[in-house]
Amino acid sequence: MEDNAELETFRRQWREEVARRNNNKNIHHEHEPVQQPQPPRFPPTHHAAAERKEEEEENEPDQSEIVSKVEQLHLQPETPVPGTADEDVFHAGPQKEPSSALEHFERAVQREAEGSLGDSLQHYRKAYRLDSSVDKTYRNKHFAHVWKKPAAPATATTPAPSAKPDEPETLPTPELIASFSNLPIPQADPIIENTPPPPCPIAHVPSDVLVEILRHVALMDPASFGRMALVCKRLAYHFAYEQHIWKRLCQGSEFGFGGMHYSFACDVLGHREYTLAPRYTPFPPRAPVQIPKPLSSWSQVFQTFPRIRYTGIYISTVNYTRPGGTSSYSNVSWNSPIHIVTYYRYLRFYPDGTVISLLDTTEPREVVPHISKENVMAARTHRHRDVGHAVDGTPDPVPPVAMAAMKRALRGRWHLAHPAESTQHPTPDPSHSDKTKAPLLDPRDVIIETEGVDPKYIYTLHLTLRSPTSRSSINPSKNTKLAWKGFWSYNKLTDDWGEFGLRNDRAYVFRRVRGWG
Amino acid sequence: MSSNGAATTKITLTSSDGTDLSVDREVAERSVLIKNMLEDLGESGEAIPIPNVNAAVLSKVVEWCEHHRNDPPSNHDDDDSRRKATDIDEWDQKFMQVDQEMLFEIILAANYLDIKALLDVGCKTVANMIKGKSPEEIRKTFNIQNDFTPEEEDQIRRENEWAEE
Repeated sequence: MEDNAELETFRRQWREEVARRNNNKNIHHEHEPVQQPQPPRFPPTHHAAAERKEEEEENEPDQSEIVSKVEQLHLQPETPVPGTADEDVFHAGPQKEPSSALEHFERAVQREAEGSLGDSLQHYRKAYRLDSSVDKTYRNKHFAHVWKKPAAPATATTPAPSAKPDEPETLPTPELIASFSNLPIPQADPIIENTPPPPCPIAHVPSDVLVEILRHVALMDPASFGRMALVCKRLAYHFAYEQHIWKRLCQGSEFGFGGMHYSFACDVLGHREYTLAPRYTPFPPRAPVQIPKPLSSWSQVFQTFPRIRYTGIYISTVNYTRPGGTSSYSNVSWNSPIHIVTYYRYLRFYPDGTVISLLDTTEPREVVPHISKENVMAARTHRHRDVGHAVDGTPDPVPPVAMAAMKRALRGRWHLAHPAESTQHPTPDPSHSDKTKAPLLDPRDVIIETEGVDPKYIYTLHLTLRSPTSRSSINPSKNTKLAWKGFWSYNKLTDDWGEFGLRNDRAYVFRRVRGWG
Repeated sequence: MSSNGAATTKITLTSSDGTDLSVDREVAERSVLIKNMLEDLGESGEAIPIPNVNAAVLSKVVEWCEHHRNDPPSNHDDDDSRRKATDIDEWDQKFMQVDQEMLFEIILAANYLDIKALLDVGCKTVANMIKGKSPEEIRKTFNIQNDFTPEEEDQIRRENEWAEE
């Protein structure tokens, strides 16, 4: 009889547990519909190009459900993370096909970030079919280390990511970095115990030489300079405190403002325009320059001043849906099909004041590494000659799909708004439809003129630099987005302006490309 | 300038380990330190001691100076703002293909002897070894140990995140 009693309690416990599990499962199912139709990074539907409010700097802590945070966490690696060195999305090797539910889910998130919603949806479906609670698995994999953190210290777990990480025992970052000032560069331990450690000659280099090396690194690639700060404490100190390196970067023409154009430097086809007037530059190298007012250091100037990047590509992914026709032969489906249309706009800026603009459906991976002035010209001469011989001087052949896309690329020129122009007319001109040059107001604005599809047209793009919203990072890169302000065509023969609708167009987002700049 | 007369004049340099090296005065004068010393000493013909540089490194440095003896005198450092800062000429690249200890010793010697152009080439060579690498790869390259705690590393990473693009 005792046995029976024991068995009875066990049964009860077991039933309870099963019930509990079922409840959990129900919760998951509630999650599903929330998540699928509304992927968090999916851009809001539509705003008029000019008054479009980019979700910039509105750092309001979003109390949205965990799922959306999970998504962002995953999106983060898309922008190069310090550990990823020079890798970029465009040179990645062939990807492994996903097999498990989790892999499908991950791929879905990735495709969604890239803008291929169709693909993404397929992977989401597969993932859920394989495992109905895959979102939980995903959350545990990518999010666990983050939610553990606020749990550990007793500080309030406000999800305000813009706030500084103020765990009780950590110093504020500037003080932390200042405390690194006199530390030596630590040598690596010997590989085998009791043997001499591997040579570390850089540890014996005096500060002034070390700074000289850092200066060269910064002038080759500011991103590498940034990675140096993560090597050891001493280098982190130099990264933060060698303001003359930052000043040199700002003044220089490699990455800084010495290389920016504030008026057109060439014509639309790239022929240089010579002028006797001195060219404007905000920080002339041979004159005493001051840090502009609200900022306090040259690294901040480099970070926040409007700046076009030459080290990569600006991509605008355009997604829209349109209802498909009610087809007579697809009786099987109970609803009418919806087409998801994806296309991309690409902009590559050159330091000489030229730019390449491309509108195409070819995916970034296939076309981005080949977007260059040389290939634009090669693609065109190719077409005119209609002969199949390769362009000399190209080391590796450009794939035909990229070459086909390059035929549609348009050459152009660009400049940033001249600060004088933008401050002299503080009142916005309401009638911006008749003239494109009227709404030149913000020093962050970028003006681009390109060839038209037909030689009688010139296209004018009016864009403005914006900073990406990032809820996951306290100090994100600035001015890496180009939001639309307007897009017009000009007919040279009839002197007419026409306006392009930008109903579906999204802001351009900057991506580094290995080997550019 | 008395370049014709000076070209034939030989001077002697003594390395830290006591080896004597005979060099054309014109070549040795690529080092601002030696140039100033010679001006102070006059034509005494005495050997010039270089107490911080050993014979192996000194002969490397002299080799470089020999090759660059006819270079135009370098202008001041602000001048490189226009030209591409990354270029190293081919001979210098070959010259710098030495092990890391030697590379840093050359840099230190160039710094001590005040040979700006050689210091630049050396620093650029090191910068090239850094460029495009991840922090971990940089540590491996130079045998540097990571002295951050994970929290500190994370804090610095977030602080400097903007510099990645």
